[in-house]
Amino acid sequence: MSAPVIEVDDVWVRMRGHSVLEGVSLAIHPDEFYAIIGPNGGGKTTLLRVILGLLAPSRGVVRILGSTGAEMRRFLGYVPQFRTFDFDYPITVREMVLSGRLGHVARRPRRYDAEDRDRTEEALETMHIADLADRQIRDLSGGEQQRAIIGRALVGDPKVLLLDEPTVYVDAPTEAQFYEVLDRLRERMAIVLVTHDIGVIPAHVTRVACLNRRLYTHDTNEITPDMLEAAYHCPVDLIAHGVPHRVFSEHSREE
Amino acid sequence: MFEVLGFEFFRNALFAGVLASVACGVIGTYVVVRRMVSVSGGISHAAFGGIGLGYFLGIDPLIGATGFTVATALGMGTLQLRARQQMDTLIGAVWAAGMALGILFVYLTPGFAPDLFSYLFGNILLVPQDDILLMAILIVIIVAVVAYLYREFQAITFDPDYATVMNLPVERLSLLLLVLIALTVVMLIQVVGIILVIALLTLPAAISRLFTTRIWSMMLLAVGLGIVFSVTGIWLSYLLNVPSGATIILVSTLAYAGALGIERLRQGD
Repeated sequence: MSAPVIEVDDVWVRMRGHSVLEGVSLAIHPDEFYAIIGPNGGGKTTLLRVILGLLAPSRGVVRILGSTGAEMRRFLGYVPQFRTFDFDYPITVREMVLSGRLGHVARRPRRYDAEDRDRTEEALETMHIADLADRQIRDLSGGEQQRAIIGRALVGDPKVLLLDEPTVYVDAPTEAQFYEVLDRLRERMAIVLVTHDIGVIPAHVTRVACLNRRLYTHDTNEITPDMLEAAYHCPVDLIAHGVPHRVFSEHSREE
Repeated sequence: MFEVLGFEFFRNALFAGVLASVACGVIGTYVVVRRMVSVSGGISHAAFGGIGLGYFLGIDPLIGATGFTVATALGMGTLQLRARQQMDTLIGAVWAAGMALGILFVYLTPGFAPDLFSYLFGNILLVPQDDILLMAILIVIIVAVVAYLYREFQAITFDPDYATVMNLPVERLSLLLLVLIALTVVMLIQVVGIILVIALLTLPAAISRLFTTRIWSMMLLAVGLGIVFSVTGIWLSYLLNVPSGATIILVSTLAYAGALGIERLRQGD
């Protein structure tokens, strides 16, 4: 197997006296579609923030392509949680996608060149939002906004795409479309999908892990009842008609 | 009605109004989109401490205000980034402490502080030629920095986390933006005074935001609106013989109310 693009090595995070992550280790390989599930407050977003270098762990390291330097972050594409987004900001779809190239611009003052613009048009095409490029982001539908956010992550040529709860505010048809897009992207990069909603784990994930402070993982793409019980700390009914996995949790969801 | 243009003080006032509007439109745009209105309020009221200090030390109060606002901006910015304090409480504390320091300094200064009132409420009709030159220099600096760092400022005000992942120096850029806000505030003290600064800084940009889709177009429209408001306000205050700062603010507020009304009608369609 090829060298991992992301290695998380024994990461611990404590915030305000509470332990959020305990000894989390995982490796993500170039061809993987890695799903991390777990209850709200289980540390999923925290783990992503540690990987992205937005939060320093109290212990442990994250290596991207084998290196721990902050400049390695430009190999990561990040799709943050929808509700953290400021859609009222005066920016067009094209400008927003283009801004994802900023980390690659070496000239000072930072100005975009022809390649940046070509990449942007390419990403707009890939995400099927080229016809919306001059609209302000607030005038888009939820699904279109989400594709714009992914477009911004794509223009930086990431080796890994990290998605935080990508389907929460998206209706069912858009969700299906969204997974088609991810399928196409898989040929070009590894994908890490984080969600509390076990029902959305698509059929083609290569690996599933459960996160609730600790990471419970199997080397397969199966969610097993013992993983879930360990992660959710409560009995969970699992009805698996092969794939896709569908789970009804007795655990009441916060939020 | 136009013969007043023959007076140097009136031309200076109009000139100062136009210059202040440029700074307001450019910096106010960031204040509005990044929701830094109360931070800016805190910075502007802290300026009063600097003005008091200026009196106390016998230097130009505006120089005292410049030092004080820049230091306050950097201090608040650092605390916000590092300590993750409750920002609204912190702003309230800085706001009141700045005013309190100003009052103490003025009290401790022997003699009488003649222009204290004009620092609080502005008096654009008394802006001296030297201050106009100073304002012009500040504007050139502000516009040059914004032009140079336009894309960086867009990134950090739109999505600071993503800017961090792209390895932009988000912390330094945020502090620089706060310093630019502080400099703009100092400039506006001349025009509308400490208490009313926040309105002139935010209202033109807030109206502009309703009708624009890009940062630069929002800035341009905000600058234009600021010029219209300040010139109208100065003129009205001259015609009606009422305080200029307050008139400018009321003109802006009426326009903002009107713009919100228009926006409501547009969305009702």
